[in-house]
Order: sequence, then structure tokens, then C-alpha cells
Amino acid sequence: MTGEVAIRIRGVSHQFGEEGETRHVRALRDTSLEIARGELICLIGPSGCGKSTLLNIIGGLIAPTTGSVEVLGRRVAGPMPRDIAFVFQENALFPWNTVFENVNLGMIFQGVPRTEREARAWRALEAVGLKDFAQHYPAQLSGGMRQRAALARALSLETGILLMDEPFGALDEQTRMILGEDLSVLLARADKTIVFVTHSLGEATFLADRVAVFSARPGTIKKIIEVDEAHPRRPDFVTSAKFTAIRNELYALLHDEIRKTMAETSVSTLGGPAP
Amino acid sequence: MTLARLWRALRRPWVARIGVIILLLCLWEVAARWWVDPMFLSAPSRVFASLPALFETRGVPAALRVTFWELAVAFVLSVAIGLAIGLALGLQPFARKSFMPIILLLYGTPQVTILPLFILYFGIGPASKIAFGVSHGFFPIIMTIVAGVQNIKPILLTSARAMGASRWQILRYVVFPHMIPSFFAGMRLAMTGVLLGVLLAELYVSTAGIGHFTTLFTQNFDPTRLLGLISVLAAMAIVLNEIVRRGELHFSRWHTE
Amino acid sequence: MVSRHDALAREPAASSNPVAVLRDFWQILRTGEFLGDLRVTLTELAAAFAIAASCGVVAGYLISRSQYRIRVFEPLFAGIYSVPIILFLPLYVLFFGLGPASKIALGATIGFFPIALNTIAGFGYVDRTLVVAARSMGASDLQLFRYVLLPAALPIILTGMRMGFTVALLSIIGSETIASLAGLGHRIVHLAEGMEMAPMFAYIAFVVAIAAILNTLVSALEARGRRR
Repeated sequence: MTGEVAIRIRGVSHQFGEEGETRHVRALRDTSLEIARGELICLIGPSGCGKSTLLNIIGGLIAPTTGSVEVLGRRVAGPMPRDIAFVFQENALFPWNTVFENVNLGMIFQGVPRTEREARAWRALEAVGLKDFAQHYPAQLSGGMRQRAALARALSLETGILLMDEPFGALDEQTRMILGEDLSVLLARADKTIVFVTHSLGEATFLADRVAVFSARPGTIKKIIEVDEAHPRRPDFVTSAKFTAIRNELYALLHDEIRKTMAETSVSTLGGPAP
Repeated sequence: MTLARLWRALRRPWVARIGVIILLLCLWEVAARWWVDPMFLSAPSRVFASLPALFETRGVPAALRVTFWELAVAFVLSVAIGLAIGLALGLQPFARKSFMPIILLLYGTPQVTILPLFILYFGIGPASKIAFGVSHGFFPIIMTIVAGVQNIKPILLTSARAMGASRWQILRYVVFPHMIPSFFAGMRLAMTGVLLGVLLAELYVSTAGIGHFTTLFTQNFDPTRLLGLISVLAAMAIVLNEIVRRGELHFSRWHTE
Repeated sequence: MVSRHDALAREPAASSNPVAVLRDFWQILRTGEFLGDLRVTLTELAAAFAIAASCGVVAGYLISRSQYRIRVFEPLFAGIYSVPIILFLPLYVLFFGLGPASKIALGATIGFFPIALNTIAGFGYVDRTLVVAARSMGASDLQLFRYVLLPAALPIILTGMRMGFTVALLSIIGSETIASLAGLGHRIVHLAEGMEMAPMFAYIAFVVAIAAILNTLVSALEARGRRR
């Protein structure tokens, strides 16, 4: 792995609540990882393994119980809106604003000067293919288009790092496929470091430069798989032997962990604690 | 227009609705003319014809104006007070948990029992009508604003925070816009409450408002003018309600789509 | 009512102390002097609710049978209900007099609407899938009504009944306050006009308590009906 390190995760573990409380959950266990600039790394694992928690810790939304995260050399102590942008699974667009207003608002929060905002917004909308829908409200758009809009908002912030928490998780398989291909094309052009959480083996294999496989809760990185294929990934990559081999390896690694998670008849919710 | 098209046009629901109303008016007309003692009921035609005379009755236009003014002031006060309290409670979880139970308790009691109390303390003039109206009107505003602030999806707040929004920015760009449809729904309910409160107080005892005349017409067995006055008031109520309802629809466009 | 005007125009006596109120409250309960007024109010309420419920459910059901009728009548009812119907009290008093009849009539009128509207909503918006499924299994009209429509509509109708009851109670107390010769609302007014502050507060507390008890009872009935 060449190139400078964008994100350095050192010995991070996290628990919610104290021991003895009903809501006590050990979400993450001694996790360390170095993410290079410009790489797309996928975090994959069974439900509740802490991958979303780790993402929120990287982004400064949660302070880890132990360990630390450094982003571009600086220790993370809170949200870093100029360096890190999020794309969430749920609809995080403000429903009372149009698509354009949503993108604009992100920049207002970040502190982009008024003169630059409009141009940046249109560039971002163009990149995701939503230029014609800028005046629509989120409720008028399909799920896939809403996530495109969320992506546009994140892109307009022109951060070096993008944290994506199962952004296509609520979409049907066909939309996911298309969006995945478009994302790959988009990212070949931009030079962003991306941490992408997903449940889907196929999605991880298609998009990632590396895939970090998590164990069951309390999660830690079990193994890291390399996907040596240049971006933009062609759609027929999915049918290649290399793809199948990697996907199979992921499946083998994950299967037991998933079974372990499902067997847990614990009080905690299956989807993991709230960030 | 062909017969078929005419028939289809007539069958439209809103046309049928008007038809029903006209039918009821006709029944009323018939009943008033031939069955019921004219001392107790007046035909709509008579009521309508006597409207000009009603307005010429000394004091009636002034009374209508006073009543309308009472309604307007009570509504504005309800909204202002309700907004202030609602925001204070909605944004401060501690205050909300302490005071909401009290407010809910007060909201549930039949306020009409303390109507005589309001009159005793605020006098028999417009002040008591306004006070009673406010007392009915500001509760829904508090409730809906607290609810509106409460049920913001946490992901929206997280999102804003991740993008670097300050507390003030979150209030202005996330909390307030989210709260607006609830606020307007609350205003619609507040208008209903204010109408109820003010009119109840007016009917109870009134010096300058329409309550004076409803009492007068009732005691003098003058159903014609009584009906005329009530119709005018009902029309006023409908118009006021409609204005607030339209406002709600307009500002909640993103909500309902 | 001319006397009320004058009676209330006087300056109110100083607020009575809570001890006096408590004492009067206890006195009222002990001597049972509330019984006469309570009986009047409760009879009016029972009669008004009975009329409102029966007419409301029947009308609501008949309207719900056809989409067209729903589209015609539902907005009409909703529109009328949005006007404060208490406004028509003087008319009812003129027509029925100051006795219980006017209160019952007004209470029934006001209580009718939430019951009718909820009945329409209950029967009119039953999930089509359920009806289709029942029909496909050979259900007759009566069976459809008994086993599908009624259970599906019942929770909503019960809510409407609760609302109708609450609103009828409020309107009856209100009309007793404004124009009546008997009943709990009237009693409070009478005491107010007589400037008898302590007994008045006691009666207000009493009426609030009665209303709370009745509303709790009705809500409990509604909840029980919904749970089945």
C-alpha cells in the first residue's frame, strides 16, 4: 500500500453504556487500520459488528472509549466538516428544502462563501446526474435519486474524505448496481479517500480497493482482502473469475460470523446500538 | 352542452354537496312556512331578505366589529403566547418534562365551567372574551410546537452537525423549518379554540358584542333576526377557519407531497 | 339574563380562601345537594349521547356504502363541524325553551358529527384486500359485515364515540352555563351571580372531577373495545 496515510485508526474500541446497565453493548474491540489517501476501503461484517460505529468514530461523531483516530495527521476530536463528509443510509436530506437547497445548505454549514456556493452546487449535481431535478423536493424523488442528492451534497463540500454508511442499503438491487457503477466512475475522476460500509458482498468486491472484514460483536477486523483492479471498474468485472474468487473468499470469512450474530439471543437490538 | 355531459357535470361531488344544502334549505323553508309557529322558526327566504334590516338595527354592525376584533386579538395573543411557551418547552427537555403534565392536565379540563370565573375577574366587557378565547387557543399551539420540535429525525440533526453547523444554524435551518407544518396545524386548531372561547363568552354575557343581541333576539322571540345574526357569525367563522387552513396547506407543501 | 348582566357587573368579592372551598366541597358531597343538578346534567348527557350515537352510526354507515356518497357528505360534515355549533344555542333555546330539551338537542347535534365522521372513516376505508380475500372465500354480505367490516371499523368508531361523548358533555355544561334553569353548569352560574365564591369554587372542582371521571371511564371503554 503506497501513498500517504489519510486515516490512522489506533487501538479503537467502543462500548455504549456502562457494565451492568441494560443498554451496555461492547460495539467495537481493539481495532487498528491505516487507510491510504485516495483508496476506497469497504467495511463489511455481520449486523452489530461495529462498522457503523467505527465510521462515526472516524468522522468525529462519537468519541471512542479507548484508542484514537488521526485524520491527515490531526487527532479527531469532533466533526471535521472541511475534511470529512458523510453519506448516510437513511434519508438525511432536509425534506422542506429542494435538492438544490439541500446541497446549498451543506455548504452554508461548512462555511463556504456565498459566491462559490452556486457553482459548486451545480457541479456536484451534474456529477451525480441530478441537474434536471434540482428544484424537486426529496419526497418527489425515488430512493436512488435521493441518495444521489445526498451524494451531491457530500461532494459539494469538496472534502478529501468521504464516509459512506450503507448509502445504498435501502435501495433495490438494480438501483444499487447502477449507483455502484456510477460511483466507481465518479471516483475514478476525483481523488477522494472513501470509507464505505456495506452488507453486500458484491458491492464491496465491486467498489473497494481493499475490504476489511469484521468479526461478530464486539467487532474487530478479522482480515483485509485486496481487490487489485483499476478504477473505473467496468460492469463486466462482476462476471470475471477474479471477482468471483474474491466474493467467495468474503463469503467464507463472513458466513460463520453472521451465524454467530444470528444465534445471539441477546437483549440488544440486532441492528446495533444507535450511533 | 350535451345532456350526457350535463349529467356528468351534475354528478360531481361538489355539485351534489351544494344540491344537498339547497335541498335542506328547501325543507327548512317548507317547514317554516307551513308547520312551525313563526315565533320559533323563520324561513330562510325571510331571513335572507331581512339581512339588510338586521344590519340597520342599531348596534349590530358595531357589535359584529367588536366580536371580530375580540377574535382577532385573541388569536394573535394565543399564537404569540403559545409560540413562546411551546418553543421554551420544546427546546428544553427539562422544562418540558416538568411542565407538560401540568399543561396536559389543564388542557383536559372542561374550561366552560370556569367561564363565570373569567367574567368575574375580567369583567363583562371584551377583555373577558379575549381572555377566554386565548385560554382555549394557546393550548393547541403549545402542543403542536412541542411535538414538532420533538419529532425531528435524529439523523437530520446528526447530518447537520457532521457538516459543521453551529447551534444557531441548526435552530434556524433544521429545527424551525421542520416545526412549521406543526405550527400551522396548531394555528388551525387555535382558531377553532379561539372561536369557541370568544363565542361562548359572548353568549354568556355581553355588553358590546353580539352576545347582547343574541340574548335580545331570543328574549323577544325574533327568530328572523336571530337566524340572520347567527348566519353572519357562522360565515365569519367559516372564513376565518378557511384562511388559516389555506395558510397551513401553503406552508406544508413539502410535508404532504 | 338581564339580571346576570347586572349581577356580574358588580365588583367581585375578594377571592375566597382554599379552606372555605374545601369545607364547602366536603359539605356538598356530604349533604348530597349536588344530586339534583347532577341528575339533570347526566340525564341530558345520556339522552344527547344516545341520539348522537344512534343517528351518527346509522348515517355514517349508510354514507360509507358508496364512495360517491362519502365524497359528497364527508367534507360537508367536516365543514359544518368546523364551525362552533354552540353558536346555535340561542336558536335552540328559542325553539325548545330553557329546559333540558334545548341542551339535549344541542348536545346531540354537536355529538353527531365526530361519531358520523368516524363511522364513515371506519367503514369507508376498510382495507380492500381484506374484503377481496373474504369475498374470494365465499363470504355473504352479512358475513362480510359481521366478520370483516365491523371488526375493522370498530376501533375507529369507538374513538368517534369517545370524542362525541366528550364534546356532548362540554356542550351541555356550556349550554347550562349560558341559558338554563337547572343542571351543574347553571348551579355554578347561579353561585357566581350571587357572589358566593367558596361554594362556586367547590362546584367547579366538583364538575371538573365528574368530567374527569366520565372521560376516564369512556376512554377505558374505548381502549377495551379496541383491544378486542
